[in-house]
Amino acid sequence: MTTRQNILTVVLLKLTLSTPLSAADDQVQFNRDVRPILSDHCFACHGFDQKKREADLRLDVAEGAYADLDGRRAVVPGKPAESELWRRVISDDPDEVMPPEDFGKPLSIEQKAILRRWIEQGAEYQQHWSFIVPEKPAVPEIDAATNPIDAFLQKRLHTEGLAASELADKATLIRRVTLDLTGLPPTIAEVDSFVADESPDAYGKLVERLQERVTYGEHMARYWLDLARYADTHGLHLDNERSMWPYRDWVVRAINDNLPFDDFTRWQLAGDLLEEPTRAQLVASGFNRCNVSTSEGGSIADEWIYRYAVDRTTTAIEVWMGLTGGCAVCHDHKFDPLSTRDYYSMYAFFHSAADPAMDGNRIDTPPILKLTRPEDDQRLKELGQKIAAVESRITELVAAYEYTDPTTQSPQPSEQTIETVWFEDGFPAGARPEATGAPLKIVSKPDGQVFSGNSAISRTAPNAIGQDFYHGGAEFTVPKNARLFAWCYLDPNDRPDTIMLQFHVGGWNRRAVWGNADRIPWGKPDTPEKLHMGDLPAAGKWVRLEIDPAKLNLKPGTKIGGYAFTQFGGTVNWDRLGVVTTTNPTTDPAWSFAVWKQQNQGKRNNALPEGLRQLVRGKKADQWTPKEADQVFRFWLMTFYGGLREEIGLLEAEKSPFDREKTDIEKAAPITMVMADLPKARESFVMLRGAYNRPGDKVTRGVPAFLPPLAAKPADRYYNRLDLANWLVSGQHPLTARVTVNRIWQQFFGTGLVKTSWDLGSQGEPPSHPELLDWLATQFVDDGWDMKKFVRRIVTSHAYRQSSRVTPELLERDPENRLLAHGPRYRLDAEVLRDQALFVSGLLVPTVGGKGVKPYQPPNIWEPVGFGSSNTRYYKQDSGDALYRRSLYTFLKRTAPPPFMASFDAPNREQSCARRGRSNTPLQALQLMNDIQHVEAAREFASRILKEGGETADERIRWGWCVVTSRQPDTKELAVVARTLERYRDRYAADGEAATQLIAYGESQADPELTPSELAAYTLVANMLLNLDEAVSRN
Amino acid sequence: MHPILEAQQFQTRRQFFHGAGLKVGGMALTGLMGSQRASADDVVHPPLPGLPHFPPKATRLIYLHMNGAPSQLDLFDHKPGLQEQFDKDLPESVRNNQRITTMTSGQARLPVAPSMFKFKQCGEGGIWMSELVPHMHEIADEIAMIKTVHTDAINHDPACTFVMTGSEVPGKPSLGSWLSYGLGSESNDLPAFVVFTPVFPKESQAQALFTRMWSSGFLPSKYDGVALRGTGDPVLYVRNPPGVLRSDRRAMLDALGELNQRNFERLGDPETLTRISQYEMAFRMQASVPELTDLSGESKETLDMYGENVQTPGTYASSAILARRLIERGVRVVQVLHRGWDQHNRLPKLMKGQCDDVDQPTAALLKDLKQRGLLEDTLVVFGGEFGRTVYSQGTLKKDNYGRDHHPRNFCMWMAGGGIKSGITHGETDDFSYNIAENPVHLNDLNATILHCLGINDRRFTYPFQGLEQRLTGVEETHMVKEILA
Repeated sequence: MTTRQNILTVVLLKLTLSTPLSAADDQVQFNRDVRPILSDHCFACHGFDQKKREADLRLDVAEGAYADLDGRRAVVPGKPAESELWRRVISDDPDEVMPPEDFGKPLSIEQKAILRRWIEQGAEYQQHWSFIVPEKPAVPEIDAATNPIDAFLQKRLHTEGLAASELADKATLIRRVTLDLTGLPPTIAEVDSFVADESPDAYGKLVERLQERVTYGEHMARYWLDLARYADTHGLHLDNERSMWPYRDWVVRAINDNLPFDDFTRWQLAGDLLEEPTRAQLVASGFNRCNVSTSEGGSIADEWIYRYAVDRTTTAIEVWMGLTGGCAVCHDHKFDPLSTRDYYSMYAFFHSAADPAMDGNRIDTPPILKLTRPEDDQRLKELGQKIAAVESRITELVAAYEYTDPTTQSPQPSEQTIETVWFEDGFPAGARPEATGAPLKIVSKPDGQVFSGNSAISRTAPNAIGQDFYHGGAEFTVPKNARLFAWCYLDPNDRPDTIMLQFHVGGWNRRAVWGNADRIPWGKPDTPEKLHMGDLPAAGKWVRLEIDPAKLNLKPGTKIGGYAFTQFGGTVNWDRLGVVTTTNPTTDPAWSFAVWKQQNQGKRNNALPEGLRQLVRGKKADQWTPKEADQVFRFWLMTFYGGLREEIGLLEAEKSPFDREKTDIEKAAPITMVMADLPKARESFVMLRGAYNRPGDKVTRGVPAFLPPLAAKPADRYYNRLDLANWLVSGQHPLTARVTVNRIWQQFFGTGLVKTSWDLGSQGEPPSHPELLDWLATQFVDDGWDMKKFVRRIVTSHAYRQSSRVTPELLERDPENRLLAHGPRYRLDAEVLRDQALFVSGLLVPTVGGKGVKPYQPPNIWEPVGFGSSNTRYYKQDSGDALYRRSLYTFLKRTAPPPFMASFDAPNREQSCARRGRSNTPLQALQLMNDIQHVEAAREFASRILKEGGETADERIRWGWCVVTSRQPDTKELAVVARTLERYRDRYAADGEAATQLIAYGESQADPELTPSELAAYTLVANMLLNLDEAVSRN
Repeated sequence: MHPILEAQQFQTRRQFFHGAGLKVGGMALTGLMGSQRASADDVVHPPLPGLPHFPPKATRLIYLHMNGAPSQLDLFDHKPGLQEQFDKDLPESVRNNQRITTMTSGQARLPVAPSMFKFKQCGEGGIWMSELVPHMHEIADEIAMIKTVHTDAINHDPACTFVMTGSEVPGKPSLGSWLSYGLGSESNDLPAFVVFTPVFPKESQAQALFTRMWSSGFLPSKYDGVALRGTGDPVLYVRNPPGVLRSDRRAMLDALGELNQRNFERLGDPETLTRISQYEMAFRMQASVPELTDLSGESKETLDMYGENVQTPGTYASSAILARRLIERGVRVVQVLHRGWDQHNRLPKLMKGQCDDVDQPTAALLKDLKQRGLLEDTLVVFGGEFGRTVYSQGTLKKDNYGRDHHPRNFCMWMAGGGIKSGITHGETDDFSYNIAENPVHLNDLNATILHCLGINDRRFTYPFQGLEQRLTGVEETHMVKEILA
């Protein structure tokens, strides 16, 4: 047979398959037989899109086709000869023939014949099949079939003169179903016990057990995360990290808890809009935050607000409705009745999202949820109260303070000496105290030496440096004519060698030392880096240390961002650090509000909170309203005024540990991005040709007219996403259930009943088994959208359990196995391949959930593409357990995905993906053979073979083979492996160096009890077993 | 995948393996070494049936992408009149209220920054080039300069995605993926589409790259570009683990082949045979990749021509010579993505560093191809994702200025199979701000590239998301006939 003939055979066969039952049934059905032809060959110019419509003719609806256009009618039911369509289709005249030659899609003879028969039989139109609400068909009566799935499938097979295959053997079956339900292979013990269990419900029990495992949700979640376009980076430009993993973990939990699909939908599309949403519902709403986002400099905000809404709309339409909404972004959908107005009406549901146009390259682009633990929440509440109590004392203090501006005093005060305290009883509010040596110890009277206030620092540092310090979070300015001071108390019974005060100005580089300066290991002596001030002060009493700031190169105006109390050895108490100045209150902004106002109005002062900052910058003081003026004044009193500094400082010191604890708890809490709408909805418009800056007609939230309507609108509010979600899962929506069951079907059979699982519209393929699809969809709804039950229904069918063995004849008849005359067989997914290797090697760390981990990755995957300042520019590989977690938990950087995912067809999660490809490439072979992860796994698997597999080479090979394939090898297989093992044993016995190198590959250590040459030989055998076609496939 | 095409490819593959199935054991001995081009009946990457649509002028593509957007005003778009406009405001009549990025839209003025570099007319065709690219002066008679390329996007991420995939929205196949999908490859032991991401000057302002620029999008992932890397394994995982020799691997593959063959006999899945052959190809790649990257057989003259960096893996020069070696071995598409061309400030200094990196090797590549007779049927493309503004961003001095993004016109050049040489196409206004004549949209440019490779872009489609997807989008395209030989 020549290639050409071969191709023709297949093409004809394909036609038979995509037009089910046509051989057995002479009646042409519009949806099944005619629409695909019109859709593919005619609708582009004679379809729904009126802008592209030629000659005013539309063939997508009966009225259009039957219409009289200047005396001619495209279709005259029953009369091909009078039908212009038929005349054009068979015309020889290049000017007349349809489709026109340059359209490039001529009709085949068979297609023409179908069109003719259709017209002859009355040219009846049907709405597109998937837009008609499904009715539950009767289950065909087939003797052998106990599962309705099989009844439908076998009826069709029977019509085609085919039959289902026998059941797969039990070993194959348990490996298949365990991989399909948990993404991991069964253990030998599980295989043995299942094979031995002859009870009739052995398989049913197995399925139930597997569905109870946490690994079930981990595995099933992956498919949903492809749809949700979940990843750990923003995806555009810098592609910085984002914290979204609690959403990923929620999906796992929801599936394990068997959350019904209707709620699964509501929570994800509108969890934030539910009444008093639970935390889980809010986390789930992150579905709509998984889209890629940017913060590229120069970007125009409108463009990105628009794009995010388009992404969300298109994703929702594809995921729940199985339609390709993307087309209608720019023009009326050519093939489906989805107009741009319909599209933008749905877009309006998503267009008011509260997230910003620029993600800020932040890990926590708002709106977010901080996932504190319940015990944290309690503590946070307590802390909040404590903080509020102190704050209200500060407010009261400020409110009660009677202030007279020195400039208005008469006589005006003259110069005076003023102490401003920077440390009293504690470090400043906002600062995070740190310590070298023992933790910070605060003593109070009467237990310890205190100079002033209520408490002081006390530190013992036996023969070592000891320090209490902070930097960052609070800042002090060096005034003019100032001297720095601090009070210290040296224990007369435990004197230090050295004491030191340090100040942080961009770095720790200002040091004043008393005593033995050699004890201080930092700084250049006799410079401001290490200035010797003299001997130690007297012990046993409080002594005031003073420093001229100039000597430490601290000029007036310098900002000090931290200070440190340091000692070498001994016990030292520290108290009251600050600055003493001589100032004239009538010219000092820290004493005269009038002066401060004068100096600050019209300027940006970053110490002011946001609202006040704009006020002070934007308006002259004399334009402030009395209320505004009072706000600024109170803030000044509280923050800048020298006369209250000490009292407020004490209160702040009281508050600072509470603040610190609160920050710590909040910092430790995982963050997840959630969905929320702006308080006031944005106006939405049809965007002409999909351009963000060309608004057309205004639209309101709504759904396409060709689908059932939304529920009645509540009187008190607009429609929102929750209404949209409820509409999708009302049970009356023709698409949602079909799309969902079809996708899950695809997961287990490799191909959906509708092959184009992302497109059930008219450009998608019609279902291979329309009645089965409708039965499954309606039953799914009747079962309360129970996902686990639906999965059970599939995996307990004969179709799923039958042998995947295929004959050349069958392959010729049905190369894609759409009729399911044999069981499905295909290559395992990227994650499953890696997890399987980890599992059989015993390396797998089964910890569930948490932040993404960074397992082995070759150098230079992120770096050559990463933006200079991106925080995901450098890949910092984790070590230890993190190397061996399930692949679900691998950190996903979208612009440079992990090679083990990318080379095995995992999508990069830039957009929703309903079906992965299944390629078969040499790069995959290289990875499975040579990737350190796989080689290390092979070595650990080899260790297990040696230790658990028995004593003889034969036993060990059998055991290893069985772990990987769940079955025993036959004699020939055994012989081939044994021969290879022998070769490797000789090889590594002769080259110990090579053996040592091989078994040292990877972070984990090879078992030192094992002989290196033996282990190396078995490592390559294990490597081979894991590369078997049978191992990388699910059979 | 398109069902009919899929069926056809399936057949082709089966046809191949009907023959090859018998050879599985024997494969161990035949065709392992060397990287001879595939003979007609033994093709690993077959073309789609019906492709090319017509006899192509070029059968291979080398695409040199200068990522970040090189300044056309300082390289190829000579505007002598601008010297008098120094620091004057860009006339409103020229700007014409076109959008500008938010990086300069807040700037008080848009002062004109003439290029500080000297230009000269090169070759018989008199193509203008600046002193920044002296080596390119020597290849002026091989290239067609297009001064009026324009694009839609004004920021890097969308623009880079657009220039490589014909769409600003991630998810579409890259040019190289389209080509390897349509045309397959003549090499049986190297990938059909190879990508380089060489290092770039440290101080340069580098924009990010994205794997989507060479990914297969909605096409099957086997059409992904394969990165040939300067660090670590040149092709991921191509090296055996430590302590494993090529002969060890061979022994394993012999056994694996037998076992898989047995599995095929048990289950009859043709994918099993494909897998056997892919493992064999992997094994061949383990030899062909090191052979490819081993420059010891190159003459001193050749190496010298590419400059001193040619022997350093991961450099642009090294990528350039490897590009030649790849297409020599039948690889369909080679793409080099050189970063660091985003000069918002300190442009003169930084551009010099960038040009030092690419000028000599680029010129050498063209000369080298020509000497070997490869240029006749290899198409070479050189350009960025958009251009840069005539007005300065930030500080403006005679010898120091920056330029913002400018999608409205920029320069690219093409050379080799199917291209007229020594000509300049299109003209911009006196400020290199607007196109004066012969605009070339990136879709038009891509249509022209496809045309040179024997593909009619209108007919080269793939059904996805309800649309007959094309590299060149839904709008009509206009091939740049003027530059076609």
